[in-house]
Amino acid sequence: MNGASVAEVDRPGVRWHALSRSLRGGLKGAEYTWALAFVVPYLAVFVTFVAYPVVYGLWMGSEPSLYRELFTDPIYERTVVNTILYLALGVNVKMFLALLLSGFFMRPGWWTKVMLLIFVLPWAVPQISTFISIHWMLNGEWGFLNNALYQLFHIEGPYWLNDRWTALGAVIVSHIWKWTPFWTLILLAGRMAIPLEIRDSARVDGATGVRGFVHITFPLLANLYLICTLLSTIFLLGDFNAVYFVSGGGPANSTHVLATLGIRDAFDIAQPRLGVAAVMSALPLVIPLVIVLMRKLRTTEVQL
Amino acid sequence: MAHLTRRSLLRGSAAIGATQVLGFPHVAKAAATTATIWFAQGFVQDEDVALRKAVTDYEKASGNKIELSIIPFAPERQKIISAITSGVVPDMVDSNPGEILQLYGWQDKWVDVSDVVDSQKGQFSETALQAAQAYNSVIKKREFYGVPLRAAVVPCHIWRSLVEKAGLKVEDIPKTWDAYFDFFKKVQDNLRKQGERKVYGLGFQVTALGVDPYNLFMAFLVAYGGRDIVTKDGKLHLDDPKVKQAAIKAVAYIGGAYKDGYVPPSAINWNDADDNNAFHAKLMVMDVDGTLSTEVAVKEKHPEWYYKEIVTHGVPGYPNDNAGKPLPSIVGYTNGLIPKGAKNVTVAKEFLKYFIQPKVIGEFVELGLGRWLPVMPSLAKSPFWQNPKDPHLKGYVQQGLLGPTIPDYYVFNPAMAEVRNQQVWSLAMIDVAKEGVKPEAAVEKAFKRMEEMFAKYPIA
Repeated sequence: MNGASVAEVDRPGVRWHALSRSLRGGLKGAEYTWALAFVVPYLAVFVTFVAYPVVYGLWMGSEPSLYRELFTDPIYERTVVNTILYLALGVNVKMFLALLLSGFFMRPGWWTKVMLLIFVLPWAVPQISTFISIHWMLNGEWGFLNNALYQLFHIEGPYWLNDRWTALGAVIVSHIWKWTPFWTLILLAGRMAIPLEIRDSARVDGATGVRGFVHITFPLLANLYLICTLLSTIFLLGDFNAVYFVSGGGPANSTHVLATLGIRDAFDIAQPRLGVAAVMSALPLVIPLVIVLMRKLRTTEVQL
Repeated sequence: MAHLTRRSLLRGSAAIGATQVLGFPHVAKAAATTATIWFAQGFVQDEDVALRKAVTDYEKASGNKIELSIIPFAPERQKIISAITSGVVPDMVDSNPGEILQLYGWQDKWVDVSDVVDSQKGQFSETALQAAQAYNSVIKKREFYGVPLRAAVVPCHIWRSLVEKAGLKVEDIPKTWDAYFDFFKKVQDNLRKQGERKVYGLGFQVTALGVDPYNLFMAFLVAYGGRDIVTKDGKLHLDDPKVKQAAIKAVAYIGGAYKDGYVPPSAINWNDADDNNAFHAKLMVMDVDGTLSTEVAVKEKHPEWYYKEIVTHGVPGYPNDNAGKPLPSIVGYTNGLIPKGAKNVTVAKEFLKYFIQPKVIGEFVELGLGRWLPVMPSLAKSPFWQNPKDPHLKGYVQQGLLGPTIPDYYVFNPAMAEVRNQQVWSLAMIDVAKEGVKPEAAVEKAFKRMEEMFAKYPIA
């Protein structure tokens, strides 16, 4: 207690000094001023661009009547089902493909590098124009796909965007096509970070091929894979482009997800609060995901 | 050279900050004669050029400054809604979408612009004046919150070449409603006999996207006698047997045409532009679509289509009702609006007064190649609209400005904007077209939803 008596510590002035010292993190005078000068801009940016929008959003969607209105919307329930399907299939199929493909691209040889370059293209090109192209490509009458089917095999292709399930399938496939390259690159980087010695010693012990993948590669990649999956789920929950530009939420509003429903309510129906409420209704899913993600990121296990 | 110390750096930063703060009144003073205006980007570049010219001319004449932002249609719509929601608003916007005048008028979000409208009141069409008003639920009154700038109506667009290929003539198209549309079914049947695999008679937008399906349905509803579904006092009349019968017939005709294969199957998921694309691809013989965008879009690239192949049925041409009586056309308007909270209402009003002078607004509309209609009947007499060499403009302006017109129903009650935007009628049409639901049941479901929506907008 640096020689201060209990009575001294209890005095308000002393308590304030102790609190002030604690808040200053032990910094004094000019050091403290400099620390403030560096921290304040960051705090200002954080408050303006992170805290304020989040709090504003929470405030906008805070009225219970909004949720009553949202739940009476005939398309809300279907939208929730679509969102779950979109997440479950879109994320898992994409991540699994990315895991397999990252193994393929680990193969040596110049042609693998050329393939990788071509493979990355869907991710590199602007997404809006590609999704619009897919929308046109899937048009039942004059779209490329059905015309190709007819020209090559004399098959009348289905009207892909006229049915809820084929339209939703088209959205999910478009998303997988667009984003698999990105996650493949991430997992490829993860695989490349596995020390060569581990793989070599496993090979000496007979862990090659599938056994090597099951016993060595996947356990080492598991944490990265899980984090990527969680991140992708959070990204996809807010994804608007694939649904909006491929199916437009149709036919008959049957392929909306929460993100597109939110935009529809906010801007087409001109009820921004209802739009925010639609997106906020995904919070019960988002919050646990973020918590799990944070915990995983803090894990200290020796994993990639 | 002086050493840069920590203290001098902090002092310097403080001085720069102080300069910014002290300099602010100068900016504020400049803002006293500066107005910020947002306007939707034109369909053709000439529209934007015309707007910029009007703004420059106004600036020269007044000495005021206009900060004009020309923004693509969809982003502008989002920007306006975001601005009104946040309260950080420009000084003037165009009504994009049209119904925001009434939706936000209901919430008392616009500045009263009666004085601006009064400056040219005698010039505006009666329908334009009706559509410039909105019911304010706070003061419980209808007021002028909009200044009419331009208009659009829904004509029919027809491929003459396809009609003739089917062995028929455009001149033989019947004049009454059902017979008119049945004619195109016959065109399709004839074309199919000739081996045309994918040409459809009717370009009905049986979709739940955009505003086209609502416009289509409302045209049918009015034609079948359901005109009083919402009256001028904002009241909903779903209990009127005439309205109910008209709604059932409209849903049955449109849904039935789809079910019978006379509408392109992909129409069930068209967006606003898809019917134009499909029409230009000659996927269908006719399209019922708002504005002259179908024609204007091909004028430069395919002048032969514009001048010879595509026929616009405005007036004459647009069908009468089944009893042979002429029908009023539903007209949508773009209005100039001043949001409450705007910093420079005076300049915004001055600019609007300048902009709606017949010469200025007339030139603005004409430079858009006639996609939009003027809102003043006197402007329809100009050589541009009466050009005998142009096959589309005269009938279009006759239909939307000089002929019998009514405003869109959301003008009377903003609940109708919700009916439109939540695609209540589209879902009824799709239920009949695709799900095999009976028209009566589909209309019953739509009426129930409408009642829920109207309950939110009670007008005393």
